[in-house]
Amino acid sequence: MERLLDKRLWIVSGKGGVGKSTISAALAVLFSSRGERTLLCEVNASDRLANLLGRGRVGPEIVELADRLWAVNLQPEASLREYALSILKFESIYKAVFENRLVSYFLRFIPSIQELVMLGKIIFHVEERLESGGPKYQRVVVDAPATGHAISFFSIPRVLINTVPPGRLAKEAERMRLVLEDPEITTAALVSLPEEMPVNETVDLGAALRDRAHVQTSLVVLNGYVEERFTAGDIEALAAAPSLQRAATQHRAEAAASAAFRRRLAEAFELPVVAVPRLFTYPFGRGAVDSVARALEAALKAIG
Amino acid sequence: MSTAEANPSPDSPIAEAWAKRKVVVCVGAGGVGKTTIAASLALGAAVQQRSALVCTIDPARRLANSLGLKELGNAETRIAPSQLASAGLPPESPLFAMMLDMKRTWDEFIERHAPPNRRERILSNRFYRSLSSVLAGSQEYIAMEELWQLRTHRDYRLIVLDTPPAGHAKDFLDAPNRVLDFLDNDAAKWLLTPALTAGKFGLHLFGSGSGYIAKTLAKLTGAETLEQLADFMLAMSSMNESFRQRARQVRALLASEETAFVLVTTPQLERLQEAVEFHTELQQNHMHVAAVIVNQVTAAPSPRDFSDASVLQSPLREKVQRTLQENSALADEDAKAMAQLEANCRPTPLVSVPRMDQEVHDLKGLWKVTRALVAG
Repeated sequence: MERLLDKRLWIVSGKGGVGKSTISAALAVLFSSRGERTLLCEVNASDRLANLLGRGRVGPEIVELADRLWAVNLQPEASLREYALSILKFESIYKAVFENRLVSYFLRFIPSIQELVMLGKIIFHVEERLESGGPKYQRVVVDAPATGHAISFFSIPRVLINTVPPGRLAKEAERMRLVLEDPEITTAALVSLPEEMPVNETVDLGAALRDRAHVQTSLVVLNGYVEERFTAGDIEALAAAPSLQRAATQHRAEAAASAAFRRRLAEAFELPVVAVPRLFTYPFGRGAVDSVARALEAALKAIG
Repeated sequence: MSTAEANPSPDSPIAEAWAKRKVVVCVGAGGVGKTTIAASLALGAAVQQRSALVCTIDPARRLANSLGLKELGNAETRIAPSQLASAGLPPESPLFAMMLDMKRTWDEFIERHAPPNRRERILSNRFYRSLSSVLAGSQEYIAMEELWQLRTHRDYRLIVLDTPPAGHAKDFLDAPNRVLDFLDNDAAKWLLTPALTAGKFGLHLFGSGSGYIAKTLAKLTGAETLEQLADFMLAMSSMNESFRQRARQVRALLASEETAFVLVTTPQLERLQEAVEFHTELQQNHMHVAAVIVNQVTAAPSPRDFSDASVLQSPLREKVQRTLQENSALADEDAKAMAQLEANCRPTPLVSVPRMDQEVHDLKGLWKVTRALVAG
């Protein structure tokens, strides 16, 4: 478990609707509860974290949520401004140039500059140091876009290196590429549900991240896992109550699917798969995130 | 499968869309089952012998999976009679499917609209080569370009367009404008004016009056990047009028009587706000919304279920009771969300699709969804 959790940058992705935000938040809560200074990053998202972690909006400025736990919602405009200022140094120059309408059109046209500056900010925080020399954030968890967008998002450094001529932009992209592709620093945590299509997509996503973005996956989380409850004998015993029998049959089928998809993911990734049980907690807030974090920790311990 | 099921009652909003519309656009967030709904809508029309094409830009090939196709390409593919027959459906149902190939659609667009002497310059520019995969809004734009082409040059009775996941209607509706913004050559002209007026096509960004701005930008991007980009924009600028015209045509098609939108969502409370906003935006843009389709709704256990459970032997009793309680909790949450959705989307009808016993991954499953769509 220690070895598995020692990566610095965690990219959490999967098919839309599988619970990426929940798992991202739970991972971040888990890291911080283990004593690591942790930054949770949303990527230009509709602020799900605010609901999940039970606080007001998380904006483009880093906010402290709890002991050792910070969050930020990366937004392209704010990230571009930060990036430009880090190079230009003077606010007045930035304003004169970047707040020009024509220039902003022009700039937006450079392939993926928005994504690049957001990715740049993520990498910056991974490398950021305290005055004492230690890393400012020991863990950075990215609630990344869903499958298709995740692949293009994390391939951007490679695409840019091939697109733009040598120069500052290409150099920035190269710097990011080195961090993303270092398996000692960066890893993907892929989230799936025990259903056919999310599982297929997770397997494809793992391969695409590996082949196109050169990012390795070290954790696969099967969310919404259903443990077996009814035996075949139980189902037979319910023959007199068809409606109950249907409910039990469905539960048994879901449990069987959970186990089968877990095996399939484990084979495809050659990794143990962490199962997080389906929750019936409403509304889905901080309490639920904490219990997912506990479930994650228990499952990770079981792996050893 | 009876004929009655293939000919649903005419007061179903979905049946009405089948009868009245030639284009149905499926919109909604990621992970709500949009592609499945799109394919089910096309299947329902095809089973009624209306030729139907479902067109997706889904890069994850889900649609191919569920239609029993190994691969789905840029070409329109007819679903084989044997496939339909093995799902118990009329084998001759004219059902077609295709997946958008972004790069190819862009290339075709350039070849149609760029002046011959600029074509190569555009197609070989480094920026163009990454354009189709990276330009914001270009997926949506190309989906609409393809829709327009299909609607104009093919005679499907119904085209169902599955769109990229979007949190807002404007992501989709404004895509042509955003692409136009990007291609608008004002910026390039302004930066390049001195070079252009000198009658030279070579770019001298840094000797010009706007040199200060250009130099500052170049600090971030590198000088050569700026020059290549300017060159690209200049080459593309000859096509602006084509883009503008197409944007108008697409907009007119979307707003016309022959087109309807369906907004797909799931009943989770956290999705609710998003769906309501999406619906409002569509209405504000004068788009016709045929239905809000709520997918994966959990049915509540009946009181009878609970009384039946109470007389079971332990431990089976506890197991069943726990399962019923879980299903109740899910159904309660879904019902609450549905009520709110209905109140906030009036007068658009809500159509609910129950959570299926089995995941939809083949034609049989799609057909179940189709029947649910017209039953609700």
